[in-house]
Amino acid sequence: MNRCLVVDDDGEIRDGVRDYLQRFGMTVSTATSGAEMRRLVQTETFDVIVLDLMLPDDNGLLLCRWVQETAGIPVIMLTAHGDPASRVLGLEVGADDYLPKPFEPRELVARINAVLRRAQKGERNKEAGQRVVGFQGWQFDRLLRQLVSPDGVVVALSSAEYRLLSAFVERPGRVLSRDQLIELTRAPGVEVNDRSIDLAVSRLRQKLGDQAREAVLIRTMRGEGYVFDTKVSS
Amino acid sequence: MKRWLADTLFLRLFALMWVALVGSHVGAYAVVKLFRETPPEHDRRSFVGSLPTFPSLPPTPGLGGPGPGGGPGPGDGPGGPRPGSPRHEWSGEPPRMGPPGEPGGMSWSLTVLDYGVRLLIIGLAAWLGARWLSAPMHKLAKAARSLGTSLGRDEGVPALDEAEGTVEVRDTARVFNDMAGQLHTQFKARGLLVAALSHDLRTPLTRMRMRLARLPEDPLVERCALDIRDMDELIDSALSLFRDTSSVGPLQSTDVCSVVQSLTDDLIEQGQPVTFSGDTAVADCQPVLLRRVVSNLVSNAVRYGQRADVSVGARGDVVQVVVNDHGPGIPASHLDAVFEPFYRVESSRSRDTGGAGLGLYIARDLITRQGGSLTLVNRAEGGLQAVVCLPARHVSASTQSS
Repeated sequence: MNRCLVVDDDGEIRDGVRDYLQRFGMTVSTATSGAEMRRLVQTETFDVIVLDLMLPDDNGLLLCRWVQETAGIPVIMLTAHGDPASRVLGLEVGADDYLPKPFEPRELVARINAVLRRAQKGERNKEAGQRVVGFQGWQFDRLLRQLVSPDGVVVALSSAEYRLLSAFVERPGRVLSRDQLIELTRAPGVEVNDRSIDLAVSRLRQKLGDQAREAVLIRTMRGEGYVFDTKVSS
Repeated sequence: MKRWLADTLFLRLFALMWVALVGSHVGAYAVVKLFRETPPEHDRRSFVGSLPTFPSLPPTPGLGGPGPGGGPGPGDGPGGPRPGSPRHEWSGEPPRMGPPGEPGGMSWSLTVLDYGVRLLIIGLAAWLGARWLSAPMHKLAKAARSLGTSLGRDEGVPALDEAEGTVEVRDTARVFNDMAGQLHTQFKARGLLVAALSHDLRTPLTRMRMRLARLPEDPLVERCALDIRDMDELIDSALSLFRDTSSVGPLQSTDVCSVVQSLTDDLIEQGQPVTFSGDTAVADCQPVLLRRVVSNLVSNAVRYGQRADVSVGARGDVVQVVVNDHGPGIPASHLDAVFEPFYRVESSRSRDTGGAGLGLYIARDLITRQGGSLTLVNRAEGGLQAVVCLPARHVSASTQSS
């Protein structure tokens, strides 16, 4: 059973979230302030923390960083700011996900499950460490989901291309079969299949200036899959 | 009285003109006199004497006067002081004035010198006066221009030097600084108010949403949840109105095609009726904001026009993003009005096609701030066409091959 800590100074939201999450089989504790949250985190164990960015006694961003440094528990930030800049900020201080208020309760559950799944696979926080990675003169910004070419031209990526390139840069030089890529680029609410992988590969090659015939970056291994054939630096 | 004695522009200009005119006369007279007393080498020809006889100008009488007066030649009598033109030809012709330095008229070079000194002094004075007038104007214009861009931001507003220049200039500077300061405070206050409002609205909305989550599933509950989402969207656009109009951030050279295609790819992935065609085209813009603009246009097209056909291409010096739909279009009389905030074509004021009427206003504002334009036209074959133009940036063909 997953243990979840909900931190919000608004009583009704706190209890509403608690009741809702309990319906999905989670054990939920609540905290009304930063101080209470620090105490609970030090005395009990949690699998995930749902943290409001604005607390009366503490800064959510600092709290988030504190959790990452002391307990290493995944954090999902909630905020009524809804400002794109604060999303970037939240993810940069190590939040695992970020949800603007008012949120769909079902969406919160989906995000919690996704974060927990990542944590169990030991994959979490990889992104927080390396927001920008580079390869062959290209810069890949994983937060803004865009590439900057060696000439400094910004090239935007679709979600599918972004997921695919993320999978590639995390495993450079390794042959990835289509099935592996489908597994790695799965996203909620989207159907990923052989065809969509092939399409995303060809789009990515086009954007990277990689000729399909003699591709050097994303090479086709006949009968095996694809390999991202370059060195990746962070 | 004090007003006149103070360092006013009025007094400065008055004094300057007076001093310049008197100074030019005196200066010219003094110089010419000086040269006359030291005998010039070349002889004076009588006919040049006629040159300075512009009757309306002061030099000739001024010089003619003392000339004959000081010299012993008043014998020539009646014509001497007055610049009667025929008399001069006579007066110069006989070598009565033979002794140098006592001519009836003036030599060519002395005339040039005389006028030169006047022109120089008056010119200098005019230049000085013009500078007194124009320098503070320039400063004011510059400050006013940068005021527009810096309002509401954190770096503060431009301030004029209140201790420099004449009384009027200092007054103007003080008034301008006061005005800029007030505008800045109000702008910030307005931004903070909207941010606080939206924050305080979102908290109760979240509460309501969580309350709805406790209720059993029901179409009514579902519709309440939809309303909450609509209100949140309205707050979002109202907020972005203040956030984005204050700054668009630095422009980056961007592959517009990739921005638009990544958007349409995402929409197609979600099953929306959207198509895309186009080639690599690079422009200086803000990729995130450009995506928002095109996203707004495409969602309008899907909402009112069933589908969106999007294309990107370079046409000469501009990069064009064209969004076509297959809807009824907009009556020609409304084509401009739809860009006004909160304006909506009458028939669209219904639940299904909601929205606050801010989308196009924000979109045009964002594009204009990136140096581009956004226009709407009704297509001849039916449907609406939205065109975004951005100034193209030419890169060598080798950098982007598709």
